[in-house]
Amino acid sequence: MDFHFTKPDRLPAELDFHRFVLLFAHQFSDRIRFVGELELEHAFVEGLEDAGELELEQAYVDFLLTRAFNVRAGMVLMPMGIINERHEPPVFYGVERPLVDTVILPTTWFEVGAGVFGEVGRGLRYRAYVTSPLNALEFSAGEGLREGRQRGNRTNIQKPAVTGRVEYVRVRGLTAGAGFWAGESGFAFQPRFDVPVRVWEADARFARGRFEARAEIAGVHITEAGTLNDAVARVTGLNPNVAERLRGAYAEGAYRLFSSRRIGDVAAFVRYENADTQNRMPAGYVPLKAFDRDLWAFGATYWPDPDVAIKVDYVRERNRSQVVPAPRSFNIGLGWWF
Amino acid sequence: MRAFKLVALAIAALLVSVVLRAAAQTTVPEQVIDIAAERFSFNPSEVRATMGTTLRIRLTSDDTMHGFRIVGANVNVAIPKRNRGTAVVTFRPEKPGRYTFECSRLCGAGHSFMRGTLVVTEPEPGQ
Repeated sequence: MDFHFTKPDRLPAELDFHRFVLLFAHQFSDRIRFVGELELEHAFVEGLEDAGELELEQAYVDFLLTRAFNVRAGMVLMPMGIINERHEPPVFYGVERPLVDTVILPTTWFEVGAGVFGEVGRGLRYRAYVTSPLNALEFSAGEGLREGRQRGNRTNIQKPAVTGRVEYVRVRGLTAGAGFWAGESGFAFQPRFDVPVRVWEADARFARGRFEARAEIAGVHITEAGTLNDAVARVTGLNPNVAERLRGAYAEGAYRLFSSRRIGDVAAFVRYENADTQNRMPAGYVPLKAFDRDLWAFGATYWPDPDVAIKVDYVRERNRSQVVPAPRSFNIGLGWWF
Repeated sequence: MRAFKLVALAIAALLVSVVLRAAAQTTVPEQVIDIAAERFSFNPSEVRATMGTTLRIRLTSDDTMHGFRIVGANVNVAIPKRNRGTAVVTFRPEKPGRYTFECSRLCGAGHSFMRGTLVVTEPEPGQ
């Protein structure tokens, strides 16, 4: 759970109870268990996303067979990137999640599906799912795939998507992994046409002593982006200017300045990000430079308890546009988990 | 003479206790294993031991409170949060095989990934 204060340049300050999450589980037996996560965003739901969202982010049953092979079915998190499967506020630095994990990888990304997971030894583990695909009708220039998530709501599954991840966790403090997602996303158009979408990412995080580092790189390829833009314009009257290629990366370093059992821990961090949702355009389209963004985030986190994080940061965003100003913001957040 | 007998008896008792203690130490070897837990993995996630060895498993967390349960054995403890100490488990596997250990406290979205294996083998001949 987290709420935060945000003060963007030239805009009024805002106080938002961003996320209230209920996580619950049940163990039917040693081999069958259920995990569920229900999230209320922005404290209030009225029926439109701007007012808030009530999301069933996870609700799956695991059938634990062997260490190397287990089955999962239900509402699952896409195994993409550092944040999507580890999104509790005390776990990441900064009041808001990284931009790359927002506009390139649409965190929190969850869909209904089924798949397998396990650890094959020597610290190598995997997961692979078949899930409902994204809806290309909702793709946008600025937020990429984000609004295309079907999120388990009467999803179209005529052509299922596949996703997977391999991860190396043998060295203490190091987790390195790579994930992919592939699916056909044109089901909302009449007549239907295929919009092949491929998403890939690679990431690593490392912690040793007081030092912590993270890095992630991600990309999206939309093969029929030109045809998609024309089709969306026919349906909605607006051309979304969706790119053929989206790309982003970030690197983050943090250092624990203070660590005490009685008082808690304090860490300072710095993160650099680049996220370009207009990286390569289809023929005849011009990129909107306001969506080629990079940012520096500086800040600190104080954990009075390992599950409670008080965060403060300053985010300086820039873009390549000569016209659209990039926001800068000062943010304070309180997140907790139990 | 009586005093001599008493001293001899005490020395004999001391020798017997020393011999018995040494014998106990040689017949029940101990293996210390350190395991670190964090969302959502144990490190190491595979541990090897020999049957008959008493395992002393020291468990720490790098973040929140986790649990440590050996499936099918009477072992289930809480691992304290980061900087809050170490949980110690003593376990003596009675038969060879693969024992699964897992987090027994719901610790977040990837809780089910927190599993590991304890591989127990029979002692080599002559051991």
